[in-house]
Amino acid sequence: MAKYLLKRLFHGLLCVIVVVMLIMIMIYSLLDRNLIFASDSVYNHQQNNQKVAYRYQKWEEYGYLDYVPYADFMNDLAVSGEIDEETRAVAVSFGRTEDKDSDLAKEYIEKFKTKYQSQGYKIERLDAVMMGSRKIASGGQQQLFAYKDIPLSHRLWNYFTGIFRIDNINEIENDVGDRGISFTLYDPVYGGEKFSPAIIGNGTRHKYLVYCDSKFPFIHQNMLTISLGTSYSVNMGVDVFTTMTKTQGSYVASTVTYPTGLTEESADDLHSATYLADSLHSSLIYESRYIDDYTSVDTVKSGLSKMGYSFLIGIIATVLAYLVGVPLGITMSRKKDRLVDKIGTLYIVFIIAVPSLAYIFLFKAIGGKLGLPTTFDMDTANRLVFVLPIISLALPQVANLMKWLRRYMIDQMNSDYVKFARAGGLSENEIFSKHILKNAAIPIIHGIPASVLGCLTGAIITERVYVVPGAGNLLTEAINKYDNGVIVGVSLFYAILSVISIILGDVLMSMVDPRISFSSKAR
Amino acid sequence: MNVDFKLGKHISVVVDDLEEIDPTEGMPDAELFSVIDHSDLESEKITAPRYSYWQSVFRVFFRKKINIIMLGLLAVIVLMAYLYPMFVEYDKFGNLMNATAKHLTPSAAIKQFGPNIHWILGTGAAGQSTFDAIWYGSQISISLALVVALINMSVGVIVGAVWGFSKKVDNVMMIVYNIIANLPYILVISVMVMLFTAGFWTMVFAMTITGWLAIAYFIRTQVVIIRDREYNLASRCLGTSTIRIAMKNILPFMTSVVVTLAATEIPSYISYEVFLAYIGMGLKEMSLGRLIYEAESAMLTPGWGFEFWSPVAVASIITVVLYVVGQNLGDASDPRTHM
Repeated sequence: MAKYLLKRLFHGLLCVIVVVMLIMIMIYSLLDRNLIFASDSVYNHQQNNQKVAYRYQKWEEYGYLDYVPYADFMNDLAVSGEIDEETRAVAVSFGRTEDKDSDLAKEYIEKFKTKYQSQGYKIERLDAVMMGSRKIASGGQQQLFAYKDIPLSHRLWNYFTGIFRIDNINEIENDVGDRGISFTLYDPVYGGEKFSPAIIGNGTRHKYLVYCDSKFPFIHQNMLTISLGTSYSVNMGVDVFTTMTKTQGSYVASTVTYPTGLTEESADDLHSATYLADSLHSSLIYESRYIDDYTSVDTVKSGLSKMGYSFLIGIIATVLAYLVGVPLGITMSRKKDRLVDKIGTLYIVFIIAVPSLAYIFLFKAIGGKLGLPTTFDMDTANRLVFVLPIISLALPQVANLMKWLRRYMIDQMNSDYVKFARAGGLSENEIFSKHILKNAAIPIIHGIPASVLGCLTGAIITERVYVVPGAGNLLTEAINKYDNGVIVGVSLFYAILSVISIILGDVLMSMVDPRISFSSKAR
Repeated sequence: MNVDFKLGKHISVVVDDLEEIDPTEGMPDAELFSVIDHSDLESEKITAPRYSYWQSVFRVFFRKKINIIMLGLLAVIVLMAYLYPMFVEYDKFGNLMNATAKHLTPSAAIKQFGPNIHWILGTGAAGQSTFDAIWYGSQISISLALVVALINMSVGVIVGAVWGFSKKVDNVMMIVYNIIANLPYILVISVMVMLFTAGFWTMVFAMTITGWLAIAYFIRTQVVIIRDREYNLASRCLGTSTIRIAMKNILPFMTSVVVTLAATEIPSYISYEVFLAYIGMGLKEMSLGRLIYEAESAMLTPGWGFEFWSPVAVASIITVVLYVVGQNLGDASDPRTHM
């Protein structure tokens, strides 16, 4: 069994990798790469050569190509000790056009060109854009850089190796004093008196590697971070996984004791402190609060994360759907061709045939007439805002369950074992609950993991119609804003969920039905 | 309506009264029997009633009253969608400059423009007639659904049949299916729409490029189920060629499956078009989905109701009618219901 499952998981992961590869081909190679600047206001305000340089810089940031400006090349030479600082300072400034270069600059530009051209880079030199004879136009400074498109294999490798990041004490390159990990039983965040074990690192990206607090699951870690790709336009510079899991809503202030001893009403979550180079002395606020450069903290917010809202609404809807749909499906199959069955069938046809958009708006209109809130609000204490989204998600699921359960039960009703049971004198109730339902439920049970895990991805239309801040709209939003990082990250997340849910479904099915076995021995 | 299951046959045997008295007792043989000559021609005649498959399909189909009503409704919708725009000049921006013509309810529109069929559903954001717009939209939506369904169904059925028959193809196609099924469909469509313009044929291309795969997979499963049935095994043992088995044994069995599948696919493409338009990735032509999408943004303006709900209602009616007709045709095309 375990061997078989590992094999399935391996196959699934291979499929996921190919899926990511195909998506990367689609969005990096097929689509026009200028589209990513569509909603970048910084880009739109730039002009001339600066705009071109910014474009390449961003393309590098978002994984299209490798971009090396001439100045970086000179800096590297200086850092490696090949040339001294004075030579660098002279050689780094090159002329407005090629024939105005100084001799020293010419020599190093030639070196720069030969080095990168031999590696397959393309060299681009943009002459200064002039306004009149002396004045350089805004953003018109001369540019010299080398660039090379990143091949797909490289991009895939970088992406998959970058998903899991384990924090270690050499993570930060800057000088941070004594690197190391210390273990304390009394977390300084709680004033150092309350018993609360924590592991604190220095030189790591997160200050708190492991800590405890009063929130579920009580012990938290920052050692392993998952990054699915950096967002560009949806949530500038933030990782997709963080976008999905970060709490939203209004700030929740509490009394916080900062490392310097300062006590304040604040929403800062000191456990989330990460390293921000040279930040301590950059502002007086930081200086009054912190004692080291671990100053970048998240804030505590009242709401759930995007995924949290989607899952909360989705899981309630799914549980409700099973509680309502399964008994209704059984009733329909027992009263086949009677009134209950006909009404149920009408409902199923309605849900299948009518566009989902239409019935969700219909539910919204009806709910609005009944006085239920039709727009979601994170900060309200009114739990009724959840009612309409949950109903809109549950009703189609109910129809689906009814349809399949009724179908499976009716298929089973004609089989020989049922006739035998009836001939043996069992009551109809016994036949239905002990024989038919058990067999008919197997395919239904197979779908449970998929419907539970599917809640994590959110629902596109429902969340849009009721303005739920969920994860369902992430993909469509990313597509509309040409945010490649988010598209790849979210698709990877969906693909992994679907692979896992099929495997879990098979496992669950084999647990429920002893006849189904995945180990080759029993066959 | 949605009768997608088969009734169990109840075989009842009536045992006649065995004590009956024979009325022919005591008669001479000449009175009881007459000699009939042997005729070669007569003996060749088949006395069973003539059976035509499609005739039986329609006999069973029209036996249900609801089907006649639904078919009538379908005919009205299709005629309206395809003929009405031919006779009516529809200019979306004809009333653009008329500030008083926007977002009118039917009564207000009739009051303003006089009683005319154009205004019975009010006006839209540019002062255009909603009634005209929904028929133009229906034409595009129905055409899209039909073209996409035609391509997807034919490719899907052919590939699915090969996929189900050949074990080698099965191994390859299962891997392809596992990969493509995990690609978000919206992503594929939107990349195609971004690559080309969001026109009608781009949308057809985007919806068919991976859309056939799900149908092929469904057909493959059906083929696998009946491929190894006893009657096919017997055929093979008797030396029937694979093509003949496919054409004569399996294809007739698949007819009802394919019709039922088409009945769910065509409405689903209309729904999908509406969904895509709603999330802003749809056609640039004024399809039903696009009408809904544009009317939704006017939701706070008074008088938006008709503008929004009429395309929603028409889309729903089209999909329900197509679905019900298709399902019942699918049931009727199953020979087991012809008794």
